[in-house]
Amino acid sequence: MSQAPEALRTEVRAWLQNNIPRDWRAAMTGTDQDAFVRAQREWFGKLVKAGYATPHWPEGWPGGGRSLAEQKIIYEEVARADAPRLILFFVALYHAACTLIEWGTDEQKRAHLPGILDGKLWCQGFSEPNAGSDLAAVRTRAELRGDRYVINGQKIWSTLAQHADYCLLLVRTDTAGPPQAGLTYLLLDMRSKGVSVRPIAQITGDDEFSEIFLDDVEVPVSDRVGGEGQGWAVAQSTLASERGLTLVELSHRMRYALNRITGLMRARGVAGDAALRRDLGRLAPKVDAACALADQYLLKRIENTEAPGDASIVKLHYARTLRDFTALGLRIAGLQGQYREPFIRGGGMETGNWPFDFMNSYNWTIAGGSDEIQRNIIAERMLGMPREPKDWRL
Amino acid sequence: MNAELSELRDSARQVLAAEGLAAPEDKTWPLALDLGWLLVAVPEAQGGLGQGLAGACAFHAEMGRSLCAAPYLPAMLAMEAAIHAGREDWIERLGASGFVTAPLVDPTLTITDGGIVAGMASAVPSADRASHVLLGSEAGDCVALVALQQAGIDARHRETWDTTRRLFDLRFDNVAGDPSLVLARGNDAHVLSRRLATHRDFALAADAVGGAATALEMTVEYLKTRRQFGRPLALFQALKHRCADLKARIAAAEALLADSLVRVGTEVDSERAEALGKAAKSFAVSAYAAVAEEMLQLHGGIGMTAEHACHLFLKRALLDEQLGRCTSYELDVADTLLGAG
Ligand SMILES: Cc1cc2nc3c(=O)[nH]c(=O)nc-3n(C[C@H](O)[C@H](O)[C@H](O)COP(=O)(O)OP(=O)(O)OC[C@H]3O[C@@H](n4cnc5c(N)ncnc54)[C@H](O)[C@@H]3O)c2cc1C
Repeated sequence: MSQAPEALRTEVRAWLQNNIPRDWRAAMTGTDQDAFVRAQREWFGKLVKAGYATPHWPEGWPGGGRSLAEQKIIYEEVARADAPRLILFFVALYHAACTLIEWGTDEQKRAHLPGILDGKLWCQGFSEPNAGSDLAAVRTRAELRGDRYVINGQKIWSTLAQHADYCLLLVRTDTAGPPQAGLTYLLLDMRSKGVSVRPIAQITGDDEFSEIFLDDVEVPVSDRVGGEGQGWAVAQSTLASERGLTLVELSHRMRYALNRITGLMRARGVAGDAALRRDLGRLAPKVDAACALADQYLLKRIENTEAPGDASIVKLHYARTLRDFTALGLRIAGLQGQYREPFIRGGGMETGNWPFDFMNSYNWTIAGGSDEIQRNIIAERMLGMPREPKDWRL
Repeated sequence: MNAELSELRDSARQVLAAEGLAAPEDKTWPLALDLGWLLVAVPEAQGGLGQGLAGACAFHAEMGRSLCAAPYLPAMLAMEAAIHAGREDWIERLGASGFVTAPLVDPTLTITDGGIVAGMASAVPSADRASHVLLGSEAGDCVALVALQQAGIDARHRETWDTTRRLFDLRFDNVAGDPSLVLARGNDAHVLSRRLATHRDFALAADAVGGAATALEMTVEYLKTRRQFGRPLALFQALKHRCADLKARIAAAEALLADSLVRVGTEVDSERAEALGKAAKSFAVSAYAAVAEEMLQLHGGIGMTAEHACHLFLKRALLDEQLGRCTSYELDVADTLLGAG
């Protein structure tokens, strides 16, 4: 699929104008999760039908095969039109889809990719209470019995797992040898017997992530992605898509959201404040650089020239810039910002509820491999600096 | 970057690496001329590579990478002026052997309709070797080449901390210009001046990302080999993370530069290009300074020695920050986003 860029821009812009749910921000302010889920589903359905939900999917899949220029146009227009962000479908569209496309068998792709377009929801079950940054320490056990794995253990911090139909599950199939080598990657049907989910309240007032308890849960061997013991490698591609690809849309959104900062400065009567103007002027090129880095990364993915650490740079720069962005908003908002207002669900990373946005920005400096972990990756894999020695004593 | 350009760029990198860091002007300037590096932006019809500003920046980055002392930047500004004033005679002369310099900050001088030059041009590299200097009037209404060997010009070398550049102050005491060397007047001159200022900012941005890349490479290399507490320093995470942050900062500056060059395209004389150049330059030079500062700190005592290269990067980075258009870019960006304060 390839289209003259300006024609695509006009087409997307017109479509968005006619289709964005009216007053969605007001409707999603202070709303509960059920109303949010309904609204997200409706918006997702429209985007899929128009072919704008999956520009990052490869050729041959509905909406896929878009060039860098086309993807950018779609994300830019979505951001410009201030459309709701497809937060509920984030893991399905990126983590699940990219992992299946890279590692899935044809059968698995056929079984799950169309389902994603039909609105099936996914969550990511990697982290555990004792396996966070040290993801290879995953302990959730999967034992092979006949043609099924039987799973026992616990996952935590799984975003929107309470709504998910499926889970990208990282489990331990072997306890001997190096920890990475004993990991296996499964697709878990969340409706299976023995799965229970408990939402966890977040500092933002949302209960966006959940714990997942797995008690003798059975998963057919045919739902394994990659070979037994290949889970680490598969998980790396899930994480790479999260660190890099998702940030094309989010960076362009941040660029458009600069007008939230300028709007706030005007509304608060501080548009002439020299110190704030300087901070804004310092922030904006950083945001531009975030867009440029994400675009460059996407191009590398398309051209197959991605190098280890590339995605970490995109994520680290984005996460730090988002922190600066939301911190500036918080400062401009002043005391007024400290009075608690209901937040907007699906409003993206820059909703204009500054304390909420600021706290939510920790999502990007902690989840998906914290800033510190990205720095380790950059130092070790890009700069070739040595890894920490394994042995230690207190 | 196309194949021809990247080949030429790679060979430039090799040649400059063979000369060593901060190789003297006497050695590197002849190389720039002989190897055709001045022709990168010259249109193909005039015997050049036709690679425009983006091509030029690939070479400016190599100059930065090797701390090259050749006055490539001012020479490229003169070439840019000749190209856009349609002066084939000068394109040929500059590409073959002639050296024309140009100030690296905006001069404060007037050029009358009759071509009389009065005032001052600062930060003019290697003026003692140039036949002419490229000048724009402060009002922006005239761009001209002025011969340097004539009465009324006081050229004074100003020693800078950065020893990879030799800067001169030029004072003009009502010097009679040559009318045939006026390249643009009136609106044409405004447009040409803007083009040159934009090229200068982008060139400085490229110099900075090139220099920053080498500085970080050398720092990482040093940390890998220097041992303390029975292990390489590179094993200490506090140091690794600082290097990783510098790497991300350089990558962001490179990406912003590359993306801005794409956005500028061939419209180098637009106001938009000027704004993009300023932002790219400021972002890159501050990254360069940050890397150079960390380079010194992370080298410890040896970094304080004149013998070691750390200070060369630091001094060039600090000078780069003061060249080009140094109005506060943050406030310019805010003006664009918010309207004038
Ligand atoms: C909002 C949110 C959503 C999330 N969603 C999901 C999800 O959907 N699915 C999922 O599987 N997980 C999810 N996570 C989990 C996330 O991936 C982990 O929180 C993250 O990997 C960090 O692990 P941890 O919380 O155990 O912190 P720890 O690993 O205990 O880290 C604590 C601190 O120590 C630092 N640290 C750790 N190791 C090192 C080291 N080697 N060097 C230097 N510093 C180090 C960390 O950077 C951090 O600052 C989510 C987290 C958040 C906050």
